[in-house]
Amino acid sequence: MKRRRHLDALDDDIRDHLERETADNIDRGMTPDAARAAAHRAFGNVALIKEDTRAVWIPVWVDQVVQDVRYAVRTLRRSPGFSAVVVLTLALGIGLNTGIFGLIDALLLRSLPVRNPQELIALTRIQGNQSGESFSYPQVRFLAEQNDIFLSLCGSSVDTFNVGPPEALESTGGAWVSANYYETLGLVPMVGRLLAPDDDRPGASPAAVITDNYWARKFGRDPGAIGRPLLVEGVPVTIVGVSPPGFSGASVGNAADITLALSVLPQLKPERRSMLGVGGRWLKVLARPREGLSRDQLKGRLAIVWAQYLSSTVTPQMSPAARARALSPTLDLRAGATGSSPLRGQFRQPLLVLMGIVGLVLLIACVNVANLLLARAAARQREVALRLALGASRGRVVRQLLTESGLLAIVGGGLGIAVASFSSGMLVNLISSGADASEAIALDLGTSWRVLAFTTLVTVTTTLLFGLAPAFRAAVVEPNLTMNASSNRVTGSGGHLASALVAAQVSLSLLLLIGAGLFVQTLQNLRTFDRGFRHEGVLLVGVDATRAGYDGPRLRAFYQQVLANAERLPGVTAASLSSITPLMGGGISLPIAVNGQPVAGGEIHGNLVAPRYFETLNTPIVLGRDFTFRDDATAPGVAIVNEAFVRQHMPNGSPLEQRVSVVGSPRELQVVGVVKDAVYEGLRQAPPPTVYGAYFQGGTGALTLEVYGAGSLAQVASAIRAEVPPKLGGKLVKIQTLTSQLESSLVQERLMATLASAFGALALMLAAIGLYGVLAYTVVRRTNEIGVRLALGAQRSQVLGLVMRDAARMLALGTAIGLPAAWAASRLVSSMLFGLTTNDPLTIVLAIALLALTGLLAGYLPARRATKVDPLVALRCE
Amino acid sequence: MSTRSADTRVVLLQGTLDVLILRILRLGPAHGHEIIKAIERSSEDVLRVEQGSLYPALHRLIKRGWIDFDHGTSENNRRAKYYRLTRQGRRQLDVETTKWETLARAITRVLRPA
Repeated sequence: MKRRRHLDALDDDIRDHLERETADNIDRGMTPDAARAAAHRAFGNVALIKEDTRAVWIPVWVDQVVQDVRYAVRTLRRSPGFSAVVVLTLALGIGLNTGIFGLIDALLLRSLPVRNPQELIALTRIQGNQSGESFSYPQVRFLAEQNDIFLSLCGSSVDTFNVGPPEALESTGGAWVSANYYETLGLVPMVGRLLAPDDDRPGASPAAVITDNYWARKFGRDPGAIGRPLLVEGVPVTIVGVSPPGFSGASVGNAADITLALSVLPQLKPERRSMLGVGGRWLKVLARPREGLSRDQLKGRLAIVWAQYLSSTVTPQMSPAARARALSPTLDLRAGATGSSPLRGQFRQPLLVLMGIVGLVLLIACVNVANLLLARAAARQREVALRLALGASRGRVVRQLLTESGLLAIVGGGLGIAVASFSSGMLVNLISSGADASEAIALDLGTSWRVLAFTTLVTVTTTLLFGLAPAFRAAVVEPNLTMNASSNRVTGSGGHLASALVAAQVSLSLLLLIGAGLFVQTLQNLRTFDRGFRHEGVLLVGVDATRAGYDGPRLRAFYQQVLANAERLPGVTAASLSSITPLMGGGISLPIAVNGQPVAGGEIHGNLVAPRYFETLNTPIVLGRDFTFRDDATAPGVAIVNEAFVRQHMPNGSPLEQRVSVVGSPRELQVVGVVKDAVYEGLRQAPPPTVYGAYFQGGTGALTLEVYGAGSLAQVASAIRAEVPPKLGGKLVKIQTLTSQLESSLVQERLMATLASAFGALALMLAAIGLYGVLAYTVVRRTNEIGVRLALGAQRSQVLGLVMRDAARMLALGTAIGLPAAWAASRLVSSMLFGLTTNDPLTIVLAIALLALTGLLAGYLPARRATKVDPLVALRCE
Repeated sequence: MSTRSADTRVVLLQGTLDVLILRILRLGPAHGHEIIKAIERSSEDVLRVEQGSLYPALHRLIKRGWIDFDHGTSENNRRAKYYRLTRQGRRQLDVETTKWETLARAITRVLRPA
């Protein structure tokens, strides 16, 4: 702009003006020097006029901000060490916060990349005091027909598919969806078409929609991929289209690369055909309600049709209890914009707790920076005094100092974003640990506006937190007092505020250390408590012979052969087979009757096992006998129950004289043994009443081989890998140790223990640095005093005590504040603990001891320096 | 420079300088130094203008669009910036002049009642 350029020429214009005036003056007979002086006199203060002229175009504050920033940059560059420490501390603090918030955003807050996600709702099923989000396929179909309530409604669930030819199977994340899935989400295809209601009819030819990501990865975005067959579970499936970029399914955290209609499930996984029936509740429901329906209207109408549906499922043969149970579930709804995620239930609270923890770490970091700035502000009192004396307003000085803080925070925040992307990546790895590649968690951690806004907010808050106190302290300087003070001393104590800040750090660290201790012990307790089975030395081999075409007696014969071969392997002490393995993350539950009477309290956990199962897992048989190979299809039916089952459902008489049966089945099983209770599905759940059946008496379905060996499991594993898979034509064998299965059920606890410890250590370190910094600064400030004391005959040990007393005072004060704070805060995480209470004395004592030790060590270094003060040198400085 | 004693000189009221500049430029384009000299001359050295204050005023007027400038060559062949009145500035001068005359008459009546 021409006019703005005019401003740039101002210097020339003024020079020109002055020259003309000088020339005029010379013409009037002045000497050149006098003429120049007179011209300047007539012109006025050049600098002031320039400033006034600039102010016409540029608001004054902009100019001052530029000035402040320039000055701040200069000041900070003069002390690179200080600046680096501050920036790195802040980068770490802000980065960790942003990293965890990024994960919270991706997992809990971000909307699905679909049309108007805020319109979507998700359905919840409530039964008694339990609520779940899983529905059966018939339920989904029924609800999808309610056109006066929903524009469209769909059900979906994630799964893992074996894709490709048998010799090169690739485990790929996928999803089963009902007819209106894509319509409900309002997506348009990248190429080809998306699944339509016609694809979800019994007998429809299998059609797959792949994600844009998979299309790019596997086909290089070749449009020719559409119409091509893809081998899924050995069945050719036609790729009909590609979903839009960024979309990877309605389940957050599980990328569904291949999406198939539910009705083709029997063609791909015949053994799971029953999941499409009334009994299989596994689909998450998302719906787009009709416009103009309020939430209450929606719920009201839904309640009516739901009641109709439930009454249609009741049959006259049902017992009154079963009927009441069948009619009891009710529906509720929640916002569906964020889709669903199995990870949410598991990681919501841990992530929020971690957010709180890193928030506290940042607070501690801020206190450190504030203390550093305070010390510097004290050293800069003379500079500030000078500026005040020269006429700067106090507000202006505060602004200048805040600019410095802001600059530090902005650089720290910028670096923090790098720390954040690293730390959220690491977190996702921690969460995924133990999972297979195909089950790995896929979260979109791309920066969203929410994360950026969060970082900005944190940075600004941080600046105010650590910048305000030092700035105001500096601004209350009394110019004449400070200027008059001797040059090598600074006035004001400054010590009280700094000590208080350190005490605050100590209390926060104590809180985090106690938290870390609680989580570490929880993990330890879960690993070591008596769960009723052994995991060390146990190898699990998932052998799915049903997928290789075995069934009925042939299947049982095959498994018997596998077991016999495994028992013969060198290094194997015991081996057995079972449908369910402890902590595999699922189970069987059935309605059970004792002596013909259905037991109260719902379904009972069950398992089908081969002989020596209890021996292999070291679960003692307390009464009766184990299954044997004589308990075969021709022998009378037998069962084994656990002590919990006996306690709850066989109160009278010897268990061995009683019979159990599956409700509705005429076949009665004689109880032949009672075993000790063992954990079934989750480590935190008390062992449930369990009934074990003998697999070889007519069991169906895939089994897992358990092998216990005293020696190297790797050898056993490779022997099995060489022997079993060839009979099954490929990769239908999954080998892992029971220990790793146990560990993968502890992901959440391990995450908390690891991160809480790491952050606790970080907090401890920051507090120690803070303590050290304040004491070291005090010692420097008191060099003269210490010198005088020594000169007057004080012992070195007395000087040491002088400084250490300071350290002890701050530690004691911090502990006094921190203990009640920790007591209150730990209440929030009590539900995450196991085997200990929030006021576990051992944890608290250890945390205090660790803190005291670290704190005193941090105090000892400056204290020792104080004893090394040479009285003569110190006094000469005066 | 002026030889009058300082107390007979009048310090310019805020904003008055702007009107004076517009009035001078009414006579034709001029560069900065010429404007100051013209003000001093036409007020018979009564008005005491700090010469430098001309520049913020010029920039203010440019920003308002009342004057503009061109690069030209002055009498002794030096490059200089020539400020000139825009049409908008001309209108503004009329407005300001009327306002000023009204004010001056009013003040005169108050101070020297007839």
